[in-house]
Amino acid sequence: MRFEPTMKQAVIRRTARKYAEEVLAPAAVEMDRTGQFPQDIADEMAELKYFGLEIPPEYGGAGLDPVSYAIVVEEISRANAAMGLCVAVHNGVAAAPMYEFGNQFQRKKFLVPVATGKKIGTFCLSEPNAGSDASAIETTAVRDNKDYILNGNKVFVTNGHVSGTNLIFANTRPGEKKKEYTVFFVESEREGVEKGPLEELMGMRGNPVCPITLHDCRVPEENLLGEQGQGLKIAFATLNGGRIGIAAQALGIAQACLDVSLRYAKERHQFGRSIAQFGAIQKHLADMATQVEAARLLVYRAAGLRDKGLEYGMESAMAKLYASKIAVDAARIGIQIHGAYGYSKSYPIERYYRDAKITEIYEGTSEVQRIVIARSLMER
Amino acid sequence: MDTSHDLEGVWVFGDYRNYFQNRVTLQLIAKARDLADKLDTRVIALALGDKVHQWAMEYVAHGADIVLAAEHPDLKSYQVETYCSVVAPWVEAFQPQVFLAGATSFGREFFPRLAKRLHTGLSADCVALEIDPETGLLLQTTPGFGGELLAEIVTPDHRPQMATVHPGVFQERPHDPGAVGRILYPDVDVVPETRVKLIRSKRQQTRQAKLEEAQVVIAGGRGLGSKENFERLYELAELLEGEVGATRPVIGSGWTDKERLLGQTGKTVKPRLLISIGASGAVQYTTGILGSENIVAINRDPQAPIFNMADLGLVGDANTLLPLLIEALRKRV
Amino acid sequence: MNIAVCIKQVPDTPSIRMDRERMTIIRDGVESVINPLDYVALQAALDLRDRKGGEVVVITMGPPQSEEALREAIAAGADRAILVTGAAFSGADTLATSHVLAVAISKLDPFPDLVLCGAHTTDSDTAHVGPQMAEELNLPQICGVNEIHMEEDYLTVKRLSDGFVETLQVSLPALLTVTQELCSVGHLPLGDLQIAFSEREITQWGPEDLGLKEEEVGLRGSATQVWKLSVPPPRREGDLISGSPQTLVDHLIRKLEDLSILDEEDGYKS
Repeated sequence: MRFEPTMKQAVIRRTARKYAEEVLAPAAVEMDRTGQFPQDIADEMAELKYFGLEIPPEYGGAGLDPVSYAIVVEEISRANAAMGLCVAVHNGVAAAPMYEFGNQFQRKKFLVPVATGKKIGTFCLSEPNAGSDASAIETTAVRDNKDYILNGNKVFVTNGHVSGTNLIFANTRPGEKKKEYTVFFVESEREGVEKGPLEELMGMRGNPVCPITLHDCRVPEENLLGEQGQGLKIAFATLNGGRIGIAAQALGIAQACLDVSLRYAKERHQFGRSIAQFGAIQKHLADMATQVEAARLLVYRAAGLRDKGLEYGMESAMAKLYASKIAVDAARIGIQIHGAYGYSKSYPIERYYRDAKITEIYEGTSEVQRIVIARSLMER
Repeated sequence: MDTSHDLEGVWVFGDYRNYFQNRVTLQLIAKARDLADKLDTRVIALALGDKVHQWAMEYVAHGADIVLAAEHPDLKSYQVETYCSVVAPWVEAFQPQVFLAGATSFGREFFPRLAKRLHTGLSADCVALEIDPETGLLLQTTPGFGGELLAEIVTPDHRPQMATVHPGVFQERPHDPGAVGRILYPDVDVVPETRVKLIRSKRQQTRQAKLEEAQVVIAGGRGLGSKENFERLYELAELLEGEVGATRPVIGSGWTDKERLLGQTGKTVKPRLLISIGASGAVQYTTGILGSENIVAINRDPQAPIFNMADLGLVGDANTLLPLLIEALRKRV
Repeated sequence: MNIAVCIKQVPDTPSIRMDRERMTIIRDGVESVINPLDYVALQAALDLRDRKGGEVVVITMGPPQSEEALREAIAAGADRAILVTGAAFSGADTLATSHVLAVAISKLDPFPDLVLCGAHTTDSDTAHVGPQMAEELNLPQICGVNEIHMEEDYLTVKRLSDGFVETLQVSLPALLTVTQELCSVGHLPLGDLQIAFSEREITQWGPEDLGLKEEEVGLRGSATQVWKLSVPPPRREGDLISGSPQTLVDHLIRKLEDLSILDEEDGYKS
């Protein structure tokens, strides 16, 4: 059993950390303040291959292993959770299924621009009435000769406002009792695609989340990902892998909380000494550090199983469940350590709190993760 | 030359291009005096150039027993290879025990090449030099591993024992116009370096001389966090009629010009008051400020090594203190 | 133009922590990185190569794990990398280090037109090895270069030396050491790292490959010896004050008054 990173993983962490600290951390403050997505930084990240992390080089990606992928998402999120979200979603639930289920033609036509970051990808599952229950989706796709006509509303689409290529989940048997789920590539410029206004969110600000509406959107047959009726299979496979990204994101946020809390505790003096010298604060810091390390092991373990081609659905659910929980805890306790300054916008810890919360919700709520884990336990 | 036996003592390379080069040479002559007395030998200073007599006289007045001088048009500009062609044969002929040079830009470039040619050891940026009473070896103390640690280095079997020393580490002796010494002009065969041509040399237009002469120096470190925060130091310096210096990480981050660099590869300052702000106190930096009469340090970390050398240590966030301090001073002007 | 760049792996921390009991350096949890100025040298070499053609070879002498630094250099764009490694090389001072590196460089075919190094390292910071390699290779040297212009068959370079801005011309081959100001170092593309670590070969040279005898390398080939390591003694016994920002400022103002840098009552004394 190995717990040390390889030489490559160590350099990848350092490289991503340097970029995150020098470029993404300063941008995070501005993104949070204005809610604007920094396109210029995204373009630079595309050049540096942050948008094709696990995609093989022949399709324009970096070809990294899953553990390196988790490390990169962790480091980005540590500096800038909103950008970590952009990268995790783009790579984990857009580029990944395009590669895994796309045919040669689709890989060339759709995946290459996505993996090279020329087009930002989205994964459009959630609808006003379909969240945790993906089977409740109401978006329809009706065959019309060689085309499909799509209608429906997708909400809370991460990266939505800047996306170029969207994966749309739709019911290909509307009106029938048993639904059939199918995934389509839908280009943002296609007629009938309409993006709604940016969501004003509590955290992850600067990630361009918006609704996407499909209104008689005509899509050719060649845009069908995998096979008709494969939608749920694709969704579950994708979400299994995607959870590693979100878990790594939560881990990065938790690490950031620990970093700033530890620094603050050492610097802040009360009663004639640094508050880090008080047992109550030390307990908080010790717990936080232990939880971060435990989360890290879970995340890398899930990624390591994926790397070896083994089953990792339960492990990625555990990683996501645990990392998101401890991220929220670390932010909450971190604010406590900061006292009133923690409640002020002049320290980043309040942003981490707002950013952390959503990691318990999206790409499967904690409640859903527990269902996944419990089912796996019973099946195994 | 009958004097060759007299010449095997403690040598000091004469570096006199500008005020500070000259001072470090004089400081080294004073230290060499001390070492030579312990070794019961002589202090020999070198003076190379197109006209060096006045420097030779100056070295004698500051404690050199003998000056080895060479005058040649090709020695007018400081050129490593050309200087090696003169000095290396001298060393081989006269066999000095110890050979010191200032850690100036030139000294740091010239001495390694010379040491290599002589196949002997060299230590860099020494902060102390002593003679080991048992072995008679030169103990060369140098800041090692970039920070908290000092290494005591010796050169047991190779001669001369060579070291460079930063300006300001040692004190020069008073100028003694009555001092007696000999100035020798040994035969030289200057081999000019033809592969490198000096096209232009211009004195840098900076305020660096002011930094080194300033009575108040405000020194900023990485802890200031940003260029904008660092720039507050100029305001403070103006209010105190001081100058601004910086640590290497600050220069590395591009917050200010390189000529403000303090420490091992930068300037040495000796102001009446040095205020160190947001610098933890790595040895590379502190070697440049140790000569300050008073040191006030501001840092968030009470364990920071800078507090070990501060007369007054303030544990706090520089970026909170600076506006308050500047405001308080403005009120008083 | 063929360029050799000498790099060194150094601890990634501004100041090394010491175990004060044992007088050893704490290496746990400290990663090794390419010395920052060596990275500048590499970037400058890559820029020159991209404009003038030729190849960039990176060389390091160090323990086997220095391979990491070389692979990172390949990811940054170096054409090939040579790891000079062997137990006999350890404990080398700058005299022995420069000897091994100079022998390694002289073995390069073709011999490089230019050898670039960082002006100094962040660990031992002697700035010796560059000039000492130049001496052994009989190359002209210019230290602390902050601008390089390639002319027909020579370079025009600029540097700051003891308060003088110097413009120099140097014929090739030559050795230059470079400073931070020379160029900025870009961010590495992750894909290039993947390739550098999975597909590229690193050449390894040991003492036999270089025809070096044990007595001329490592500790045995060194002229200097470290006798003792120590922690610098505290210089002064000053007051350490914590408190509100205003308290701290008050202390500082009082100090300024004590030193007569500020007048006690009516303000400012010049």
